Order: sequence, then C-alpha cells, then structure tokens
Amino acid sequence: MEIAEEAVEMAAAEEEEEEEEEVYAWSWGAGTDGQLGTGTLEDQHLPQVLPHLPTAVSSVACGGAHAVALTGDGKVLTWGRGTHGQLGHGKFQSCCRPKPVKFLESLTISYISAGWNHSGFVTDMGCLFMCGDGSFGQLGNGDNQSHDSPFKVLFFASQRVKQVACGMRHSLALVTGSSGDVIYGFGSGRHGQIGKHLSGGQRSLNLPTAVQGFDDHKIVSMHANGDHSAALSASGQLYIWGRRFSGDVDNHIPQLAPLSLRISQVALGWNHALVMADGFVYMLGGSRHGLLAETQKVNLVEHRLPKLASCTTSNGSLLTLERVPCLDEKVVSIAAGAEHSALVTEKGSVMTWGWGEHGQLGLGDTSDQTCPQKVKLDCNGSFLSTQSVVYCGSGFTIVTKSTE
Amino acid sequence: MSYDEVEIEDMEWSEELQAFTYPCPCGDLFQITKEELCLGEEIARCPSCSLFITVVYNPEDFAADPTPDPNSRKKPSPVAVA
Repeated sequence: MEIAEEAVEMAAAEEEEEEEEEVYAWSWGAGTDGQLGTGTLEDQHLPQVLPHLPTAVSSVACGGAHAVALTGDGKVLTWGRGTHGQLGHGKFQSCCRPKPVKFLESLTISYISAGWNHSGFVTDMGCLFMCGDGSFGQLGNGDNQSHDSPFKVLFFASQRVKQVACGMRHSLALVTGSSGDVIYGFGSGRHGQIGKHLSGGQRSLNLPTAVQGFDDHKIVSMHANGDHSAALSASGQLYIWGRRFSGDVDNHIPQLAPLSLRISQVALGWNHALVMADGFVYMLGGSRHGLLAETQKVNLVEHRLPKLASCTTSNGSLLTLERVPCLDEKVVSIAAGAEHSALVTEKGSVMTWGWGEHGQLGLGDTSDQTCPQKVKLDCNGSFLSTQSVVYCGSGFTIVTKSTE
Repeated sequence: MSYDEVEIEDMEWSEELQAFTYPCPCGDLFQITKEELCLGEEIARCPSCSLFITVVYNPEDFAADPTPDPNSRKKPSPVAVA
C-alpha cells in the first residue's frame, strides 16, 4: 500500500517537473542528509529550486539537518535527516524530498519548529505534538525516548499552547492562560537554556517547567537554537537566557537586554543573535563565524546587562551589539543558522553573511562573508515579490515566496 | 582555531560511529573515539568540514577504564596537549 502510494506520489512529482511551473522555494548549503529537499545529498553553493512543495507554504522551520514546512491549510511536510524520528514519518529514516506527515493529516497545525534532531507542532486548538530525539527529555513527555511519529504532549492537555521552539537539545512552549503568557522549558538544561537551575547531577528535565523571571510582559515570540533561548515581549523587549554568547556566564534566568530598540523580530544562532528594529538589523554576541569583520567593529557599542532584582547570578553579562552594515534598504525579515545569517529587504532582495564552508550563503562559493551579500535567485522570469521569507537551518538556507 | 570547548559530559556516545559525538554547526557531528581519548587526544573533528572542537576531559578516566561512562565522571579538568 505504502509502495503504491509512493509510486503515485513520484509519478505526480515527475509530472510536475515536466510542467514549466513558477518557482516558490529554493534551498542551498549543506545537503548530506537530504535537508535541501531537492533529492540530492550534495552540498549546493547556489540556490536550487525546491520542488514538490505545495504553492501555499506559509512557513518553514529548519533544524540541524531537517526541515518542516507548514501549508496555508495547516498541513505539514518534512524532509532531511530522519534518523531520530524528527520527520514524523513513522520511521527512523531520512528523506531527501518533502513528504507529508500523515499522522498530522487529521489536524490543523498552526505553528512549527525544528531543532537539532527533534520537531514540534502546535495545532489550532492549542495542542502540542512532538517527535524526534528525546534523549535529553526535549520531547517533554516524562521519559527520554525518541519518537518517530508525533505524539501529544500530555503535560499541556488542559492548556493552550501557542508556539513551540526547538533548540539543539531543549524545547520551549509558549502557553496562554487567564493570567497571561507562560513559557515552559524542557530538555537539556546544562547551560540554563530551559530557564531552571539544575542542582546536583541533574542535566536535563523531561517534563516542562515554567520559566520564571519575566516582568509580566506579553510574549509575542520565543526562540531556541544551540543552547540559547530568547523571548520577545509585546513592547519590543528582548529576554535571553541559556549559554553565554561570548566569554560570560550562563544564565538560567531570562536577562532583559537593555537595548534602546523596539525589536520586532528575533533570530538565534549558536553563537549570535539577530534582532530587527525599524528596518535595521543588529547582531548580538558572536565571537565566531557569525561575527562581522574585525575592522567593522569600530561601530560596536557595548551594553552591560544590569543585574535583575530577581537575578541570582553573581555578575551581569556583557553583550556586544553591532548594526549590520552594507544595507541600503530596509529589512523585512531575518534568519540565523548555526553560524550564518540571512535577511530579506523590503524590495525582496535576499542577503546572506557569516560562515560559508558548505555553500550556505548561496553565493556560488564556500567563502565566509563579513557583510551581507545579495543572493541571485532565478525566478523563472517572474518578479520576486517582497513576501519572500528566508529560513536558516544549521548549515543550510531555504527561501519561500508567498503567493499572496 | 578550535570552534568550541566541550566537556565530555556534553558529548553523546554513538554505538553506530563507536565514538563520542557533539553537534557540528554544519549539521554533521564532531567525533572522537575512546581509543583517541585513551591516547590523550583532545581534538574531535567533523568528517564533513574543517571545524574541530577541544574536548575537555580527565585523561585518567580513560586510561584506567576502557569502557567508561561519561555520565559518572567527576569534575573534568582541561588538559594540555602532550
């Protein structure tokens, strides 16, 4: 039955290929686990057309080496590394082309996230489903088992989950209740990333625990990557916790970044964070590939995080903030991979910078870039609209074009 | 330059690779075998790229016990290259 279905799918896919269809998605970068979704396992240094995606993809989440796509009608497709069950296809197997997650077909998914080797899905009814690597408790179901099919996280059975964020070995869930927004953390907590101080030999928690330390703010988005966590409040303020960005202490209590910016978007890498405010992009932290050139650090502004009243850490963390240079246009969206960054400008240009060894910058080579560079997307003659959105996995990049 | 310093407790044992592993930003895994650790090697490499990490561990733990459990290890201490 399954083979027959696959044959039908493949036949349909081939038919699609024969037609001169408008392109809606591209991918490039590391491809060894099929994460580019193009059917190949080679690294690609230039944008490749990502076929077999429905035209109405509303968002994509990219993890360590897999990707999750959400369609406008709430269906989910996954591809890439599946060795830990992170694709949710019911087997511990990789898949080099987008494939629907059958288990979720009867549900309407409204939010997705992809971590190093795990995935999270939130339904329109506020239920959280997880699959993939559970060895650090990052699936939140009370054990450390991996799952090859999405399962409902029962801890949230009576609560309404709004968002999920999957990091390297931890997860966050944003829950809305009568008393406001609460973020829960679960999984590896060695660096404070789940917002809880672990004592004794404890290394992780496999059940969600509420993150304390927000000043009663409404949370609009939350983020996890590497061993970092972040949340953006409705007033445009950024909280960060988890592993230090460079040379400072880890924090399990969310630290309010004292930036005099009204932040509208946040993206986390493994050693840096990007924030967008008023069409400008700023980079926080970063001592490795994500960092901009040494020579451009003249503009660098240092901010010392104040000690929070509730903060028990002994010293405030030092954060460096740098405005991303070489931008003539306003920026409308940002994304961060492990060690590379990407943005889309208001005129629809996709630009990348950072680590480029696997072609993840899409510029045709493997060079690193210290300044955003324009990626040439072949749009089959069609004008690339401003609704393009860029997404970064650890070592790869995906761009989708909205059809609206 | 070493991409990162990682304590052996943060690495995962892979039966398949017969090595301790840690995520590499390229998507692959940094790897180091028990034999390498026994010999005092402290660099774990990624087979897919140029990056490597420095593994922080107590060499005595590996010299004494051929099948150590990294989770039961006491405080690790950085070691100098021999």
